[in-house]
Amino acid sequence: MSALAIAVQLVGGFVLAPLLPGLVQHWKARLQGRRGPTPLQPYRELRRLWSKSSVDVEGAGLVYRLAPSVTAASLALAVLLVPVAARAPGLGVGRDVLALLGVLALGRFAMASASWDVANGFALMGASRDLTIAIFTDMTFVLAVAVAALVAHTTNLAAMIAGTAGTSAWSNPSLGLAAVAFALVIVAETGRQPVDNPDTHLELTMIHEGPLLEYAGRDLAFLQWTAAARHWIVLVLAAEIFLPHPASVWWQLAVLPFTLVVLCAGLALLETVTAKMRILLAPRLLAVGAAAALLGIVSWLVQIA
Amino acid sequence: MSSRIQVLGAAALGGFGFWALASGTTLGSGFTGSLTTPHFGVDGLSAFFLGMLGLVAAPTLAFASRYFEPTRRGRANAILTVVFVLVLAEVLCARDPLTFLAGWELMSLLPAAIILISRSDDQARRTVFFYLAITHLAGAGTWVAVLLAAHAGALDSSGAVAQGSGLQIAIAVAALVGMGTKAGVMPMHSWLPRAHPIAPAPVSALMSGVMIKVAIYGLVRVLVDWLGVLPVWFGVLVLALGALSAVGGVVYALFQHDLKRLLAFHSIENVGIIVLGLGACLILRARGDDLWAAIALAAALLHTLNHAIFKSLLFLGAGAFERAAGSVALDRLGGLLRRLPWTGGAFLIGAAAIAGLPPLNGFSSEWVTLQALLHVPAAGHLGDGLAGALALAALAATAALAVLCFVKVIGLVLLGPPRTAAVAAATERPLPMRAAVGVLAAACVVLGAAPGLLLGSLVSLAPWPAVLPTSVGLHLPGTGSLPTLGIAAALVGITGVLALLRSRRAAALAPTWACGQLVEPALGWTSAGFTKPLRLVLEGVLRPERSIEVRTAGGIVQEVSYTGRVPQLLDEQVIAPAVQLTLAAAAQARRLQTGRLGTYVAYLIALVLVLLTAAKIGLVG
Repeated sequence: MSALAIAVQLVGGFVLAPLLPGLVQHWKARLQGRRGPTPLQPYRELRRLWSKSSVDVEGAGLVYRLAPSVTAASLALAVLLVPVAARAPGLGVGRDVLALLGVLALGRFAMASASWDVANGFALMGASRDLTIAIFTDMTFVLAVAVAALVAHTTNLAAMIAGTAGTSAWSNPSLGLAAVAFALVIVAETGRQPVDNPDTHLELTMIHEGPLLEYAGRDLAFLQWTAAARHWIVLVLAAEIFLPHPASVWWQLAVLPFTLVVLCAGLALLETVTAKMRILLAPRLLAVGAAAALLGIVSWLVQIA
Repeated sequence: MSSRIQVLGAAALGGFGFWALASGTTLGSGFTGSLTTPHFGVDGLSAFFLGMLGLVAAPTLAFASRYFEPTRRGRANAILTVVFVLVLAEVLCARDPLTFLAGWELMSLLPAAIILISRSDDQARRTVFFYLAITHLAGAGTWVAVLLAAHAGALDSSGAVAQGSGLQIAIAVAALVGMGTKAGVMPMHSWLPRAHPIAPAPVSALMSGVMIKVAIYGLVRVLVDWLGVLPVWFGVLVLALGALSAVGGVVYALFQHDLKRLLAFHSIENVGIIVLGLGACLILRARGDDLWAAIALAAALLHTLNHAIFKSLLFLGAGAFERAAGSVALDRLGGLLRRLPWTGGAFLIGAAAIAGLPPLNGFSSEWVTLQALLHVPAAGHLGDGLAGALALAALAATAALAVLCFVKVIGLVLLGPPRTAAVAAATERPLPMRAAVGVLAAACVVLGAAPGLLLGSLVSLAPWPAVLPTSVGLHLPGTGSLPTLGIAAALVGITGVLALLRSRRAAALAPTWACGQLVEPALGWTSAGFTKPLRLVLEGVLRPERSIEVRTAGGIVQEVSYTGRVPQLLDEQVIAPAVQLTLAAAAQARRLQTGRLGTYVAYLIALVLVLLTAAKIGLVG
């Protein structure tokens, strides 16, 4: 059973992750009345990029060349950290939810440093916006997971999945409020509208895509997988902690694909009905999420006290 | 030769400190309230701080041997730097009130002397005056706290001050003001970002790395060791000051354009993180969660050590860049990683460590602090629980802000093209300077990979019984644990494999893509530009000032000048008016001093008359 949970975690995080943004793009096209690419399009792009040569920017050094590998490694570590079911044993890197903060920050740090190395104004514009929004994302993220950690009495992700399972954890509004906060974290972390537009090709409006401008070939393949893995991590956290889920590990594994598909459809719908907001307003949106999570903590404290 | 003896001595001091901490050895006398004879001794807490002092001082003194020029001033400063180290050790070993306070005062005065010797310009003198005025005005709190505690007998036995008594609160508040000022806790921080940047780099490293940590030592000694259990509200107050310092320090650091000044503001931020751990310790202790109170204390102490290491590394790095490129203005550096690969590489590690990134040491201590803060609401009390949650959010925001700030720093200093001709011609520094930053960077890596070896000893430093099994990683009860070695191995291993896969295919060389524009140095991003999004987001709080002046002649723009700055609201709204008020009052009082003998005779006669009248009425005698 735990072997199956580990297998789902590794295969899902490393191999199936690109399917998630693929599904979002596919359904978004359908919702907008276009035929759009197949959900497998990300795999085609990865294959194409894998056989192309990378680009070394003139004057840029080791930081530029290593950044995609470091970023992909940090997301790979995050995939190893986040389990898909309760009672999944650790993989030698722990199972702690607060460790995710630093691990995800490492990827941002590497990409933003690379932007300075190539000294490209457009990349730096994206990097500075990404890091600014990340301040508010991290704040909201930590408060949302704090609610779940308080409810489950642990920050061990596998035990948190068990602690928030079933219906009794939902008798208090705290988890629901944390779910609202985490929904905003998903949007910001995956770089979707209304915070960022993944389809933009206008340098002036890019956030996540900005620091990617110089990269090609295998570097870009790593970075595209990184974006997909980011989808996997936040959507799995949402499905297994911030949405009602069954207590049995078998049922958790069985329900997970459906929840992920529904969440992808939700992202596609959100991208269809909302427009990208002004960048300077995104922190306010995330602050609303932080306030909701804080209210969740108060609600939990009132119940305990 | 003499410098080699200094370095070896400092290293021996560090080795002794960590050995005494690990083996639980105590030497010399214990604390005593006696005011007659000096007492010295070392216990676990002192040993830990001595270890930190040695670990920072050894590379710093090696660095100083090449940093100070062989002139008379340089030699005087090199000697005073060594004396500074000895004074710091004296404060840590003092076991009676007067020895402690004497060392404490010397610790404030020595950096002032060093600054005045190395720089004699007007600005330096003004800053030193400001520094001494603030540390001595607020430093009175230290005297009050230590002498009151000695008088009450708290130094001799820990239960001497009654729990929740007015005396306990008075001592605690006095210590928080006096030692908090010395540590640079907001809102008593104003001296720090002024004094640290103008000191010579090795002294800056010792001030930011160790001196403000000795103030933390004092706080821990008074609040945790001497005073017993403090009320919950005091813990919440400490937590609030910690959160203010952490967020405030890093936000103001972001808008600095001078490397050393930026680093000084980061010291305020990191002291804030340490104080957050301390506040969590006090609250959890009051709530009866002894194990997590000890872990919170250990988190604060671990971050104290980590910050001592990476902050001295960064200040020494700044000193090396100053010598190599002639400037520490962020917008006038660039590309130094290629020109100073050793110093630059070590600086890069230090920057990643202070930004709290895995697998380095800042990440592990921030993780333990986050866990400790999460246990404050877990105790299940509404008021302090909410405070703990807010502090948790503040620490998460602080970490992300530090990432933004240090990406800016390494981008402007180490990466990209050099911005001036002097920077382009910069060369690597001599071996002692390289070795100094290299040793500190190695310490960042080692402590990041195996923080658990130290955490167990730190937990048992708490004056109440608490035990945590020792392991390489961090395995705390009720967490998903942080096997730091596994995380480091995973990150390095996967990065290596991916980098290898990437290099299997030859890469094409191409210029930077800027929509077809030629990328010129004039188009390079600046420190102000990179932080502009955040400045706009926080406009309502920070109230930045900017003005644009356009000079036209005959309808043609001749010149556009732009000035912008982010004012220090506390300095300009509170401290400056208070100083002005005091000076105005002093000016009024000065009218009494005419300097004429007749006036003073008149004063004396008036005083005698007033006293006689008072005696006649019966007010006196």
